[in-house]
Amino acid sequence: MAAADLNTIRATIEGRLATELASSPAIPVVFHNMPYEPTPNSSWVQCLTTFGSSEYLGHGSTSNSYNRIVGLVVLNIFSSKGVGPGANYVIGKRIRDLYNRVIVSGVFFDAPIGPEALASPAPEGYFQTQVRVTFESIEEL
Amino acid sequence: MATIRGESGSVEFETGSGSLATVVGTRSWSLTTTKETLDSTVHGNTFRQFVGSMISGSGTVELVYDPDATGQAAFVEDVMKTGDAADASFELFTTGSTNGTDSLSFGGIITDMEISSTVGELVTVSCSYITSGTITSNLE
Repeated sequence: MAAADLNTIRATIEGRLATELASSPAIPVVFHNMPYEPTPNSSWVQCLTTFGSSEYLGHGSTSNSYNRIVGLVVLNIFSSKGVGPGANYVIGKRIRDLYNRVIVSGVFFDAPIGPEALASPAPEGYFQTQVRVTFESIEEL
Repeated sequence: MATIRGESGSVEFETGSGSLATVVGTRSWSLTTTKETLDSTVHGNTFRQFVGSMISGSGTVELVYDPDATGQAAFVEDVMKTGDAADASFELFTTGSTNGTDSLSFGGIITDMEISSTVGELVTVSCSYITSGTITSNLE
Protein backbone atom coordinates (compact mmCIF):
# COMPACT_ATOMS: atom_id res chain seq x y z
CA MET A 1 0.00 0.00 0.00
CA ALA A 2 1.08 3.59 -0.45
CA ALA A 3 0.04 7.08 0.44
CA ALA A 4 -2.79 8.46 -1.67
CA ASP A 5 -1.83 10.46 -4.74
CA LEU A 6 -4.08 13.51 -4.54
CA ASN A 7 -3.30 14.37 -8.14
CA THR A 8 -4.65 10.98 -9.22
CA ILE A 9 -7.85 11.63 -7.28
CA ARG A 10 -8.13 15.09 -8.82
CA ALA A 11 -7.54 13.65 -12.29
CA THR A 12 -10.26 11.04 -11.70
CA ILE A 13 -12.76 13.74 -10.77
CA GLU A 14 -11.83 16.22 -13.47
CA GLY A 15 -11.32 13.62 -16.19
CA ARG A 16 -14.82 12.32 -15.68
CA LEU A 17 -16.25 15.81 -16.15
CA ALA A 18 -14.03 16.64 -19.12
CA THR A 19 -15.09 13.47 -20.92
CA GLU A 20 -18.78 14.09 -20.30
CA LEU A 21 -18.74 17.74 -21.39
CA ALA A 22 -16.68 16.94 -24.47
CA SER A 23 -19.57 14.84 -25.78
CA SER A 24 -22.41 16.42 -27.71
CA PRO A 25 -23.52 19.02 -26.94
CA ALA A 26 -19.97 19.97 -25.97
CA ILE A 27 -19.60 22.61 -23.27
CA PRO A 28 -16.32 24.32 -22.34
CA VAL A 29 -15.02 23.42 -18.91
CA VAL A 30 -12.31 25.21 -16.97
CA PHE A 31 -10.46 23.95 -13.89
CA HIS A 32 -8.46 25.50 -11.06
CA ASN A 33 -5.62 27.81 -12.07
CA MET A 34 -6.49 27.88 -15.76
CA PRO A 35 -7.04 31.04 -17.80
CA TYR A 36 -10.39 31.27 -19.58
CA GLU A 37 -12.14 34.09 -21.39
CA PRO A 38 -15.81 33.09 -21.72
CA THR A 39 -17.72 33.92 -24.85
CA PRO A 40 -20.67 36.23 -24.04
CA ASN A 41 -24.09 34.47 -24.00
CA SER A 42 -22.48 31.05 -24.05
CA SER A 43 -22.67 28.17 -21.58
CA TRP A 44 -19.61 26.96 -19.74
CA VAL A 45 -18.65 25.16 -16.55
CA GLN A 46 -16.04 25.84 -13.91
CA CYS A 47 -14.87 22.86 -11.84
CA LEU A 48 -13.03 23.50 -8.56
CA THR A 49 -11.70 20.48 -6.67
CA THR A 50 -10.42 20.94 -3.12
CA PHE A 51 -9.29 18.57 -0.42
CA GLY A 52 -10.36 19.00 3.16
CA SER A 53 -9.54 17.36 6.45
CA SER A 54 -8.43 13.77 6.78
CA GLU A 55 -9.10 11.45 9.68
CA TYR A 56 -7.71 8.27 11.13
CA LEU A 57 -9.79 5.21 10.38
CA GLY A 58 -7.79 2.58 12.16
CA HIS A 59 -4.80 1.54 14.17
CA GLY A 60 -1.25 1.65 12.87
CA SER A 61 1.19 4.38 12.06
CA THR A 62 2.76 4.71 8.64
CA SER A 63 1.96 1.15 7.62
CA ASN A 64 -1.01 -1.19 7.90
CA SER A 65 -3.28 1.77 8.51
CA TYR A 66 -6.18 3.62 6.91
CA ASN A 67 -7.09 7.28 6.60
CA ARG A 68 -10.21 8.87 5.23
CA ILE A 69 -9.56 11.74 2.82
CA VAL A 70 -12.51 14.01 2.16
CA GLY A 71 -12.94 16.71 -0.45
CA LEU A 72 -15.37 18.89 -2.30
CA VAL A 73 -16.04 19.48 -5.96
CA VAL A 74 -17.69 22.83 -6.68
CA LEU A 75 -19.16 23.05 -10.17
CA ASN A 76 -20.26 26.47 -11.33
CA ILE A 77 -22.56 26.34 -14.34
CA PHE A 78 -22.89 29.51 -16.42
CA SER A 79 -25.48 30.08 -19.14
CA SER A 80 -27.06 32.96 -21.02
CA LYS A 81 -28.71 35.65 -18.93
CA GLY A 82 -32.37 36.57 -19.35
CA VAL A 83 -33.61 33.38 -21.03
CA GLY A 84 -34.72 31.34 -18.03
CA PRO A 85 -32.98 28.51 -16.19
CA GLY A 86 -33.83 25.58 -18.50
CA ALA A 87 -30.57 25.37 -20.47
CA ASN A 88 -28.56 25.75 -17.28
CA TYR A 89 -30.46 22.97 -15.52
CA VAL A 90 -29.96 20.64 -18.47
CA ILE A 91 -26.22 20.99 -17.90
CA GLY A 92 -26.80 20.66 -14.17
CA LYS A 93 -28.53 17.33 -14.66
CA ARG A 94 -25.67 16.04 -16.81
CA ILE A 95 -23.21 16.97 -14.09
CA ARG A 96 -25.35 15.70 -11.23
CA ASP A 97 -25.84 12.34 -12.93
CA LEU A 98 -22.10 12.12 -13.48
CA TYR A 99 -21.29 11.99 -9.76
CA ASN A 100 -24.48 10.98 -7.99
CA ARG A 101 -23.41 8.18 -5.56
CA VAL A 102 -20.85 6.98 -8.08
CA ILE A 103 -17.77 5.03 -6.99
CA VAL A 104 -14.91 5.28 -9.46
CA SER A 105 -11.22 4.46 -9.00
CA GLY A 106 -11.63 4.36 -5.24
CA VAL A 107 -13.33 7.75 -5.04
CA PHE A 108 -16.76 7.68 -3.38
CA PHE A 109 -19.04 10.55 -4.44
CA ASP A 110 -21.93 11.53 -2.21
CA ALA A 111 -25.35 12.69 -3.35
CA PRO A 112 -24.84 16.11 -5.00
CA ILE A 113 -26.17 19.41 -3.66
CA GLY A 114 -27.83 21.64 -6.22
CA PRO A 115 -27.92 22.99 -8.80
CA GLU A 116 -28.53 26.08 -6.70
CA ALA A 117 -29.15 29.39 -8.45
CA LEU A 118 -26.77 32.14 -7.29
CA ALA A 119 -28.10 35.66 -6.92
CA SER A 120 -24.77 37.28 -7.73
CA PRO A 121 -23.04 35.46 -10.57
CA ALA A 122 -19.27 35.74 -10.84
CA PRO A 123 -18.34 36.73 -13.46
CA GLU A 124 -21.37 38.91 -14.08
CA GLY A 125 -23.39 38.71 -17.29
CA TYR A 126 -24.47 35.08 -16.90
CA PHE A 127 -27.09 33.03 -15.11
CA GLN A 128 -25.12 30.91 -12.64
CA THR A 129 -26.01 27.80 -10.71
CA GLN A 130 -23.77 25.70 -8.52
CA VAL A 131 -23.55 21.95 -7.92
CA ARG A 132 -21.47 20.76 -4.98
CA VAL A 133 -20.39 17.19 -4.49
CA THR A 134 -18.52 15.93 -1.45
CA PHE A 135 -16.30 12.92 -1.97
CA GLU A 136 -14.04 10.67 0.03
CA SER A 137 -11.23 8.29 -0.64
CA ILE A 138 -9.75 5.71 1.71
CA GLU A 139 -5.99 5.91 1.95
CA GLU A 140 -4.30 2.59 2.70
CA LEU A 141 -0.80 2.96 4.07
CA MET B 1 4.81 12.11 30.83
CA ALA B 2 4.35 9.90 27.81
CA THR B 3 0.76 9.70 26.75
CA ILE B 4 -0.23 7.42 23.90
CA ARG B 5 -2.72 8.14 21.17
CA GLY B 6 -5.17 5.41 20.31
CA GLU B 7 -4.19 5.21 16.67
CA SER B 8 -0.76 3.94 17.76
CA GLY B 9 -2.30 0.66 18.80
CA SER B 10 -2.59 -2.57 16.90
CA VAL B 11 -3.81 -6.13 17.19
CA GLU B 12 -1.98 -9.34 16.40
CA PHE B 13 -3.77 -12.64 16.15
CA GLU B 14 -3.27 -16.24 15.11
CA THR B 15 -5.93 -18.90 14.88
CA GLY B 16 -3.91 -21.64 16.49
CA SER B 17 -2.07 -22.93 13.48
CA GLY B 18 0.38 -20.17 12.68
CA SER B 19 2.26 -17.29 14.18
CA LEU B 20 1.04 -13.95 15.48
CA ALA B 21 0.55 -11.40 12.73
CA THR B 22 -1.02 -7.95 12.51
CA VAL B 23 -4.71 -7.79 11.75
CA VAL B 24 -4.87 -4.89 9.28
CA GLY B 25 -7.80 -2.51 9.66
CA THR B 26 -8.46 -2.65 13.39
CA ARG B 27 -9.67 0.62 14.84
CA SER B 28 -10.25 -0.16 18.47
CA TRP B 29 -9.69 -2.82 21.06
CA SER B 30 -10.56 -3.24 24.68
CA LEU B 31 -9.78 -5.75 27.41
CA THR B 32 -11.54 -5.90 30.74
CA THR B 33 -9.77 -8.01 33.34
CA THR B 34 -11.66 -9.19 36.39
CA LYS B 35 -10.38 -10.83 39.54
CA GLU B 36 -12.85 -12.73 41.63
CA THR B 37 -12.61 -12.47 45.38
CA LEU B 38 -13.13 -14.95 48.18
CA ASP B 39 -14.51 -13.92 51.50
CA SER B 40 -11.95 -14.77 54.16
CA THR B 41 -13.69 -13.11 57.04
CA VAL B 42 -13.31 -15.10 60.27
CA HIS B 43 -14.81 -14.98 63.71
CA GLY B 44 -13.54 -12.01 65.57
CA ASN B 45 -13.23 -9.81 62.50
CA THR B 46 -15.25 -6.66 62.60
CA PHE B 47 -14.52 -5.73 59.02
CA ARG B 48 -15.08 -8.11 56.13
CA GLN B 49 -11.88 -9.27 54.41
CA PHE B 50 -11.15 -10.93 51.10
CA VAL B 51 -8.44 -12.69 49.17
CA GLY B 52 -8.03 -12.54 45.42
CA SER B 53 -9.07 -15.58 43.38
CA MET B 54 -9.53 -16.44 39.71
CA ILE B 55 -8.66 -13.89 37.05
CA SER B 56 -10.52 -13.69 33.76
CA GLY B 57 -10.74 -11.32 30.86
CA SER B 58 -12.97 -10.33 27.99
CA GLY B 59 -13.11 -7.58 25.45
CA THR B 60 -13.77 -6.42 21.93
CA VAL B 61 -11.90 -5.66 18.75
CA GLU B 62 -13.48 -3.44 16.11
CA LEU B 63 -12.37 -3.38 12.48
CA VAL B 64 -13.00 -1.36 9.36
CA TYR B 65 -14.09 -4.19 7.08
CA ASP B 66 -11.83 -4.85 4.12
CA PRO B 67 -12.04 -8.34 2.67
CA ASP B 68 -8.55 -7.97 1.20
CA ALA B 69 -6.84 -6.73 4.37
CA THR B 70 -4.20 -9.06 5.77
CA GLY B 71 -5.41 -11.10 8.71
CA GLN B 72 -9.01 -9.88 8.74
CA ALA B 73 -10.68 -12.97 7.30
CA ALA B 74 -9.02 -15.32 9.77
CA PHE B 75 -9.96 -13.03 12.63
CA VAL B 76 -13.60 -12.38 11.84
CA GLU B 77 -14.28 -15.98 10.84
CA ASP B 78 -12.71 -17.50 13.94
CA VAL B 79 -16.11 -17.32 15.61
CA MET B 80 -17.24 -20.01 13.15
CA LYS B 81 -14.68 -22.49 14.44
CA THR B 82 -16.47 -25.46 15.94
CA GLY B 83 -15.03 -27.39 18.85
CA ASP B 84 -12.88 -24.35 19.58
CA ALA B 85 -9.97 -25.43 21.76
CA ALA B 86 -9.10 -21.88 22.81
CA ASP B 87 -5.90 -22.25 20.84
CA ALA B 88 -6.09 -18.81 19.28
CA SER B 89 -3.60 -16.23 20.46
CA PHE B 90 -4.07 -12.50 20.82
CA GLU B 91 -1.65 -9.68 21.47
CA LEU B 92 -3.15 -6.21 21.93
CA PHE B 93 -0.69 -3.34 21.61
CA THR B 94 -1.12 0.12 23.06
CA THR B 95 1.65 1.30 20.77
CA GLY B 96 4.03 -0.27 18.29
CA SER B 97 4.11 -3.93 17.41
CA THR B 98 7.12 -5.35 19.24
CA ASN B 99 5.98 -8.59 20.78
CA GLY B 100 6.14 -8.52 24.55
CA THR B 101 6.31 -4.74 24.75
CA ASP B 102 3.44 -2.31 25.49
CA SER B 103 0.94 -5.09 25.06
CA LEU B 104 -1.36 -7.64 26.61
CA SER B 105 -1.16 -11.20 25.34
CA PHE B 106 -3.36 -14.20 26.00
CA GLY B 107 -5.09 -17.19 24.50
CA GLY B 108 -8.78 -16.86 23.88
CA ILE B 109 -11.94 -17.57 22.00
CA ILE B 110 -13.88 -15.19 19.79
CA THR B 111 -17.41 -15.50 21.07
CA ASP B 112 -19.30 -12.91 19.00
CA MET B 113 -18.89 -11.35 15.59
CA GLU B 114 -21.15 -8.57 14.38
CA ILE B 115 -20.79 -7.03 10.95
CA SER B 116 -22.83 -3.93 10.17
CA SER B 117 -23.54 -1.96 7.04
CA THR B 118 -25.11 1.48 7.48
CA VAL B 119 -25.89 4.06 4.81
CA GLY B 120 -23.25 6.78 4.79
CA GLU B 121 -20.81 4.83 6.94
CA LEU B 122 -18.06 2.31 6.39
CA VAL B 123 -18.85 -1.35 6.92
CA THR B 124 -17.44 -2.35 10.29
CA VAL B 125 -16.99 -5.59 12.21
CA SER B 126 -17.03 -5.93 15.98
CA CYS B 127 -15.73 -9.11 17.62
CA SER B 128 -15.97 -10.04 21.26
CA TYR B 129 -13.69 -12.54 22.94
CA ILE B 130 -12.99 -14.12 26.27
CA THR B 131 -9.54 -15.01 27.49
CA SER B 132 -8.54 -18.56 28.31
CA GLY B 133 -5.54 -19.15 30.53
CA THR B 134 -2.89 -16.68 31.51
CA ILE B 135 -3.12 -13.02 30.59
CA THR B 136 0.38 -11.61 30.25
CA SER B 137 0.62 -7.91 30.85
CA ASN B 138 3.49 -6.01 29.29
CA LEU B 139 2.14 -2.56 30.11
CA GLU B 140 5.37 -1.44 31.71
